[in-house]
Amino acid sequence: MPFSAPFQRLAPAAIAALLCTAPAAAQMDHAPAQCVAPADLPAPMASWRNPVALKAAADGKGAARAMLTPGRTVSLALLPTPKVAYPVRPAKPGGSVSHGGLASFTVKEAGTWRVALGSGAWVDVISDGQAATSTAHGHGPDCSGIRKMVDYDLKPGRYTLQIAANGEDSLTLLVTRLP
Amino acid sequence: MKPLLLAAALLMLVAAGKPWRWDLPAGVDAPPVPADNPMSAAKVELGRRLFYDADLSADGTMACAACHEQKRGFADGNATRPGVHGDPGRRNVPGLANVGWLSPLTAADPSLTRLEDQALVPLLGTQPVEMGMTGRETELPRRLGADACYRTMFARAFPAEKGRIDTRTVTAALAAFQRTLIARDNPYDRFRRAEASIPAAAQQGLRLFDRHCAACHGGQDITDLRYHGFEPAEARDPGLIEKTGRAADAGLFRTASLRNVAVTGPWWHDGSARSMTDAIRRHRLPISEDAMPPIAALLEQFTDVIFLTDPRFAMPDHACGKRL
Repeated sequence: MPFSAPFQRLAPAAIAALLCTAPAAAQMDHAPAQCVAPADLPAPMASWRNPVALKAAADGKGAARAMLTPGRTVSLALLPTPKVAYPVRPAKPGGSVSHGGLASFTVKEAGTWRVALGSGAWVDVISDGQAATSTAHGHGPDCSGIRKMVDYDLKPGRYTLQIAANGEDSLTLLVTRLP
Repeated sequence: MKPLLLAAALLMLVAAGKPWRWDLPAGVDAPPVPADNPMSAAKVELGRRLFYDADLSADGTMACAACHEQKRGFADGNATRPGVHGDPGRRNVPGLANVGWLSPLTAADPSLTRLEDQALVPLLGTQPVEMGMTGRETELPRRLGADACYRTMFARAFPAEKGRIDTRTVTAALAAFQRTLIARDNPYDRFRRAEASIPAAAQQGLRLFDRHCAACHGGQDITDLRYHGFEPAEARDPGLIEKTGRAADAGLFRTASLRNVAVTGPWWHDGSARSMTDAIRRHRLPISEDAMPPIAALLEQFTDVIFLTDPRFAMPDHACGKRL
């Protein structure tokens, strides 16, 4: 698949390992690499190491108040899964001891949008009661702390982001448009 | 006893006694069922729910179905999968079609012949850690027992055990559900039964397959269930020798079933074959490159679309009459 310019600055081998095209249900998960130093991050991910705090919502209505700013990484405080009412049942729901939550973001410009996660949590992008189909998935650059990335082709509009099956009660997360 | 309680108890007894009815093609016998874990509709229903429940993992993030996806023949799309704590996986996730007939069950452990025992490997295993429940066994009754519907389902499935929720009943229910994962109706099956044809390229592939591959990939489930080696043993996964200690078993792995093989990639015991043709080449057989397309065309005929979409095997959306 073609890569955007910022990603072309990564080492070719690292780029090859990042993403592959596949449907959403195939969201990949990878073991973290053994690292001695943090990796350089491509421009769309530049905010990854400086997250701002945000509380996830428990339902679709509350998600409108948990707004994500594209390109700005958040440390998302999640809720115990039993307290979350997902608008669409996640394909891989978490157990009662896991964590999840909802947020929302606005797409102003159509294109490929990426959700990057610091864990292997399940992610859905919801619009009009339907989960968008992902176009690619993979993991971030080794030693970046980005464990999982899922891409979507999105049109302008408001979207709800569902996070499910996260082990911890918070999650580093970034939604960004690829150039 | 109050009338309502009596009615509930009677309902439970009736549900528990509902026999399991196999839905098998003509001429196919049911898979073997251990005497200590008889089938019942209630047990299968419970096992199906448990299969999709991530509370069977340490932090509630990984169900059996996290790695065993129905649309992929209950394999997954990764070479290997990390465990719940991020430990690297070691082996490619196998598909589960007809697993009730497969013995031994896994790639390199001949002692695993019962699904009840095999379920303990992902649940409690430490080499590598998968679902990470070792040392947390008491969490199963705590988590599942907190759900009234689960308590009802266990009571129906295990009346003799008084509905006890523990590792044994959980694995027994999972095994019962897995025995129902039956795929005997792909285009190749129908061709073998003289019910339908397959494309000419696949028929050409079948002739090549019978000549080069069927000695090991033969029988109902396209595996001889024996151990073979094609490459030198690797330290990270030496194969059968790890369990037997015999030097001759180094680098040997059980022949994989080829049912649904076209949707279970990547392939090879460690998922290192990125394509089916790559996997075929690594068998080091005298198969020309010209033979690859027809063999691949045959392998496509092993895909059982009904199995991949059968709602009886999918994540349940209801339990005890309520939406999950």
